[in-house]
Amino acid sequence: MNNQQPRRVVITGMGVISSIGIGVDKFWSAIQQTECGITDAKNYNTEDLQIKIAGEVKNFDPKEEGLPKQFLMADRYSQFAGMAAREAVLQSGMTMPLKPEDGMRAAAIIGSGVGGINTLEDSYHGLFELKKRATHPLTLLKTIGSSAPAHVSIEYGITGPVFGIVSACSTATHSIGLVYNMIRQGLVDFGLGGAAEASLAWGTTRAWQGMRVLSPVGLYPFSKRRNGTVLAEGSGILMLEEYEHAKNRGANILAELKGFGMTSDAADMVNPSIDGTAGAMELALKDADLAPADIDYINAHGTATVVNDINETRSIKRVFGNNAKDTPISSTKSMHGHALGAGGGIEAIACIKAMQDNYLPATIGFDEPGDECDLDYIPNEGRKSEVNYTMSNSFAFGGLNAVLVFGPAPA
Amino acid sequence: MEDVASKIIEILKKNMKEPPETIPMETPLSDLDIESLDLAVIVFDIEDTFGIEIPYNANEEVEDFKTVGSVVDKVKELVAANG
Repeated sequence: MNNQQPRRVVITGMGVISSIGIGVDKFWSAIQQTECGITDAKNYNTEDLQIKIAGEVKNFDPKEEGLPKQFLMADRYSQFAGMAAREAVLQSGMTMPLKPEDGMRAAAIIGSGVGGINTLEDSYHGLFELKKRATHPLTLLKTIGSSAPAHVSIEYGITGPVFGIVSACSTATHSIGLVYNMIRQGLVDFGLGGAAEASLAWGTTRAWQGMRVLSPVGLYPFSKRRNGTVLAEGSGILMLEEYEHAKNRGANILAELKGFGMTSDAADMVNPSIDGTAGAMELALKDADLAPADIDYINAHGTATVVNDINETRSIKRVFGNNAKDTPISSTKSMHGHALGAGGGIEAIACIKAMQDNYLPATIGFDEPGDECDLDYIPNEGRKSEVNYTMSNSFAFGGLNAVLVFGPAPA
Repeated sequence: MEDVASKIIEILKKNMKEPPETIPMETPLSDLDIESLDLAVIVFDIEDTFGIEIPYNANEEVEDFKTVGSVVDKVKELVAANG
């Protein structure tokens, strides 16, 4: 093994469902048109809530979307995963479901911040409030945070590593990084990596309200008027594949995953540290064998909380040094909202599309720079620009940091 | 209404690691040994105690949350509005 070239990992499929569109084409055109998916929440009663806005996935009907029966019985979070996985599989051109001998060489790591929490909320409402005697027999299967990858594995005959992981708002990024390392280590040849989240509901909004970090008006990263984040839902899933495997079957290679870095602050549940976040960026660059000057675009974690945006700006300055001011950064959360565990998957797709189209997505809703926010956040309007290498940051509550670096398809 | 002040001071002390003997009304909250998450817990505790809702956002610096006295005034106002 030692004499062999390290296995390279490429992206051959992408799938997304978000508040600004279902499917990569709609999502990306909304990004280019700087559309905002944050609106008054419609899917739950906001009457007695302080926070009445959210980035909901609109007009989603799983039956109309033609999702297979097993997904119709599943929680909304699994349905989102089913949608994104299907799009990624179709784009990859892979023949699915897999033959038994191929299935073992494939992975599906699809995480979620809180899994099927809506199912749980509905069940508790029925039991405690409506005094129902029993809860739906599928309550448990719908709720568990590994139901999405299980459904996806059943759909496509993926019989290798299949599970969900949790790292709050870094979940998708950790999941993608995990599949990347499985492929590099030779455990599998390809796999789906990402996350899904569908936790918008009355009870969860109450829980978030209690944290005092949500904005009642909008998500305005890095800008002066920012006053908190806005919850959203969706899914972002990539098909990752070993380069030779992709080449041999003549797959259309969208990008290469060049580097992955992960750290933990081990400091505080809510206040991020520069050491942790900068450390993850440094590790990802090192893994990619790239210098900060090589990065043409950073998709920031950019939650629009006061602490994250200052900490992230300081971290970027520490890692990028003199290049920090010349590196375009944006938070596409300003458009699709904070999809929590799924955020990193959606944002990885924004990075890959940015490279494909040589287009830098904007940070919308930007009035003027916030205190200590003095970098190029691509305010309000996207830009045409050569984009070869991109970085996607995810920094979660608990201080759990994960960073991906993407590059062009190998020549 | 003086009861409001003593109850709030009690809640503050309960959520501090080493609470001082006395907490004067003019004490800035930033001078107390409380972190952002503690403050969310304190606000919750106050809401629960008085049966009110305080529209506090950790991302904003507002006059109502400058000093212990200003919190007491805000709570009195909300309690009165509730009654």
